[in-house]
Amino acid sequence: MGILSNEDKEYLKNLYKDMKRDVNILFFRTDDKNLCVMCDDIKNILDELKDISDRIKVKVYNFEKDTEEVKKYNVSMAPAIVLLSDQDLGVKYYGIPAGYEFSSFVEDINDIGNDFVPIDESIEKDLKSIDKDVHIKVFVTHSCPYCPGAVRTAHKFAMANEKIKADMIDANTFYDYANSYDVSAVPRVVINEKESFEGALPENEFLRKILNSLM
Amino acid sequence: MILNLKKDDDLSNNNSYDLIIIGGGPAGLSAAIYSGRARLNTLVVEELIVGGQSSTTETIENYPGFPDGIGGYELAQKMEEQAKRFGVKFLFEKVERTELDGKEKKVYIANKIYKAKSVIISSGASPRRLNVPGSEKFHGKGISYCATCDGALFADKKVIIVGGGNSAVEEGLFMMRFTKDITFVQDLPYLTAEKILQERLLQNSDIKIYYNSEILSINGEERIESMSVKDKNSGEKFDIKTDGIFVYIGLVPKTDFLDSKVELNEYGYIRVDKDLKTNLEGVFAAGDVIEKSFRQVITAAADGALAAKSAEKYLENLKEV
Repeated sequence: MGILSNEDKEYLKNLYKDMKRDVNILFFRTDDKNLCVMCDDIKNILDELKDISDRIKVKVYNFEKDTEEVKKYNVSMAPAIVLLSDQDLGVKYYGIPAGYEFSSFVEDINDIGNDFVPIDESIEKDLKSIDKDVHIKVFVTHSCPYCPGAVRTAHKFAMANEKIKADMIDANTFYDYANSYDVSAVPRVVINEKESFEGALPENEFLRKILNSLM
Repeated sequence: MILNLKKDDDLSNNNSYDLIIIGGGPAGLSAAIYSGRARLNTLVVEELIVGGQSSTTETIENYPGFPDGIGGYELAQKMEEQAKRFGVKFLFEKVERTELDGKEKKVYIANKIYKAKSVIISSGASPRRLNVPGSEKFHGKGISYCATCDGALFADKKVIIVGGGNSAVEEGLFMMRFTKDITFVQDLPYLTAEKILQERLLQNSDIKIYYNSEILSINGEERIESMSVKDKNSGEKFDIKTDGIFVYIGLVPKTDFLDSKVELNEYGYIRVDKDLKTNLEGVFAAGDVIEKSFRQVITAAADGALAAKSAEKYLENLKEV
């Protein structure tokens, strides 16, 4: 397979039919073939997404050559995908969003396109009141059904507050990097290099971990 | 390349169903296929992704019709597609709680109430946790319950598999693609996995198996260094060096969201009669969450079909009254 099925395309067409604003997908490829094994496939899928909705725009960059964009969007490894509205929302994927992470990717696009972040009302105020920089790293594998929960929460938080940046990191693609964080179970979440936990926590507990990291 | 997609249906016009199925594993999905074909207005609610535990199984080799085996998630996806074809709706959210006594069943999901005339509980089970000194400390830090999720993180490392049933042996064989250093620790004097799986395992002379072994503790400072084990025959105690531990020692039924009126047995599994009725009118249960002797994809699927038939009959009787 490797490419979206007809059922999936129909589902996405319907999901994305009323998007209000453009979603810009920046795909940073790398010349390192070991890291970019699935880059051609993901490029094809991005092209198919582009055909599904006029609101979806795709740009492809080279991590080694396009240094200006790499710097502008703070891309530290590749392959990487940055999701933007007309502004940087702090939503990134290091490694490609395949397997279970495809769901996260599809839902992120939907939130950005509709300019609506579905976050529980009870935590919205506390989340938006954060005025210090927060950097969340969520280590995942493609075959982990629990991981999209953590990725989505981190990305939603990033969309809701410009101080928060959140990266999905595929622990298989960036094996040594994950090892340097002692990742032995996924999802593993690291906040500001200080607080860390395993598993997909509910939004309110995830937020508490962020607040702890700022104390 | 696999792309997993949660396809939520638009439920904005509908909060009331003939049947709500809680759990989208093989039991819930086959119940959905039968209830869709019975033209019941049906909603499946799944917390994570279709397939439940089976979706983290690399290959299912004993489901009829697939001589070369089929991926756990792929099978679930096909079942989902089949159910959708018959008009069943899907919602991917966590059920917070239920009120299942009385004629109108209420299912609380993300601050909304979904109502139904009947309910099938097919919420499945999760892996039983290891409970020895050190196991809490290293939970998620070297102790894992999902080789499909975490296996690749242990490339070329020392790994212990705890257990000797189908899951343990299947996942042990799966781990062989990442590392050669695999040790089994089994509490019984023999393996309980299917004979064909045992044969495959025993072909690998690299794999060590300790039978009759009781786990005493998991040891280490920052990360796991070893497991202390006692031979139950000789009483001899010894340490096995390891980097990671994958645990397959049975299941715990997922019933924490259910109201207390649903009757459970002493192990926490839902009590059902031969038609899969629970003690509550109009409430049925299927799959790993019920008391039964053999928990497999095919037995779950069979349960699902029967539970849907029972729900259909119940709804017909409601009309007649």
